[in-house]
Amino acid sequence: MDKRVERFSAPERLTHWLVALCYLYAALSGLALWSRAMWWLAPVTGGGENLRAWHPVAGAVFAVVLAVQFRRWAAQMKIDADDRRWLAASPRYAMHDETGVPESGRFNAGQKMLFWLQSSSAVVLFATGIVLWFPESMPRAARLASILLHPLAAVASMGGIIVHIYMTTIVVQGALHAMTRGYVSQAWARSHHAKWYRQLSDR
Amino acid sequence: MQTVAKLIDTSLCIGCKACEVACQQWNDQEYTLGTFQNTYQTMPDLAPNFWNLIKFRETEIGGAQSWLMTKYQCMHCADAGCIKACPSPGAIVQLGNGIVDFNRDNCIGCGYCITGCPFDVPRLSPKTKKVYKCSLCSDRVAVGLEPACIKTCPTNCLTFGSRTDLQFLAAKRAEELRADGFAGAGVYDGPGVGGTNVLYVLKHAGRPEEYGLPKDPTIPWTVSLWKGPLKWLGNTVFIGGILTALFHFVKFGPKEEHHRG
Ligand code: HEM
Ligand code: SF4
Ligand code: SF4
Repeated sequence: MDKRVERFSAPERLTHWLVALCYLYAALSGLALWSRAMWWLAPVTGGGENLRAWHPVAGAVFAVVLAVQFRRWAAQMKIDADDRRWLAASPRYAMHDETGVPESGRFNAGQKMLFWLQSSSAVVLFATGIVLWFPESMPRAARLASILLHPLAAVASMGGIIVHIYMTTIVVQGALHAMTRGYVSQAWARSHHAKWYRQLSDR
Repeated sequence: MQTVAKLIDTSLCIGCKACEVACQQWNDQEYTLGTFQNTYQTMPDLAPNFWNLIKFRETEIGGAQSWLMTKYQCMHCADAGCIKACPSPGAIVQLGNGIVDFNRDNCIGCGYCITGCPFDVPRLSPKTKKVYKCSLCSDRVAVGLEPACIKTCPTNCLTFGSRTDLQFLAAKRAEELRADGFAGAGVYDGPGVGGTNVLYVLKHAGRPEEYGLPKDPTIPWTVSLWKGPLKWLGNTVFIGGILTALFHFVKFGPKEEHHRG
């Protein structure tokens, strides 16, 4: 049998799923307010009055746990020269043609981009979310900006999440297992994150 | 159904605040004591339980000292920013007669309407977590009565009727004022929001800020951008993202593990 390699530690997995849970609620309850066509999500997320009260709480927990995740991963997410070449070759990667696609470290350049997209949109969501949370005590200019920037950041973030969920559940078989159980096979590591795999086996 | 309106001829207002009291009484709202500010401003601002405010301004216009008394409340806009901003179906309704009314059963207390309103009218109650504002006495109007403020006004500063009639009356009053020597007199009726169902006659129509009224009110541009182009951008991202994933799945499917040298 193939040997197992640890990919995500228990604390890493716990933070990821806590972030995901809060995000899911914030996104669904936020979408209820996004347009009348999505209002059917209001009863699903607790009813209008409750979702107005809970959405910012879920959002705030999301932001705090994401900050923990950020501290843990930021150093590993730096974009290097290989990553830039990976991004240039990403259309080929998407079509499963790996010629000219550089080997990836623990995270590939796509995952790194997602990390930075989610981290930066979370900063905007948090700052503007606080303003929308307490409209009575916020200056009008801040409210006018937030009413536009909060959903704008949410669109950017959710656009990234659609790609993220599709990639990890369907395209890259085994990725979901890595985040639920924490380990992958050696073959998987060598195939998807060759540079990382070599670093592991060199140790 | 014809559009109803309220005309406020500020040149006839003596600042007695009878309309403030009538509004409190008809809407059964408790009276909150204000603090004396050394001016004729009695109440400081609109509040969740105070929907009709007389603003007092002491200014100099054209070298002449002026005491401006201006009744302030919801303007019942034809193109209402509060409705545009509100996410909860049925929380704000525009009646056939033009009245913009809050239905608090459907209100979720998000406060979006406060940001959408160009006149800074709705007020969120921290107690009930719902918004409040003037209803133009929609309950009275529905049974053929005039709003409480209008009923009580002792000087004919306030008139209630069909919007068309009142537009005519307002233009006539402005002309009379101009004939009396107030060259800048005119009508304030918010063309930028499709017309308001509260009309003002102002002696200095070119300077509504002096009265505490916004100059050229329109729905804020960030609100229009949010409810217009951003909705399209967002829906394109969401639907486009899901369709692209679907297309990719059908065309390329999952990645096979591969082995490199
Ligand atoms: C980071 C902390 C966050 C805070 C403090 C926050 C706060 C708020 C508040 C106060 C509102 C107004 C209505 C309500 O209370 O339900 C709102 C609306 C919204 N939020 Fe958040 N939120 C946060 C995170 C998020 C996240 C992670 C998402 C999803 C990606 C999101 C998506 C939305 C959307 C789509 C709306 C509706 C915008 C519209 O009406 O067009 N928010 N948020
Ligand atoms: S004045 Fe404000 S609250 Fe009244 S109808 Fe216009 S936008 Fe709505
Ligand atoms: S506070 Fe109530 S009325 Fe105002 S926008 Fe929110 S749901 Fe609509």
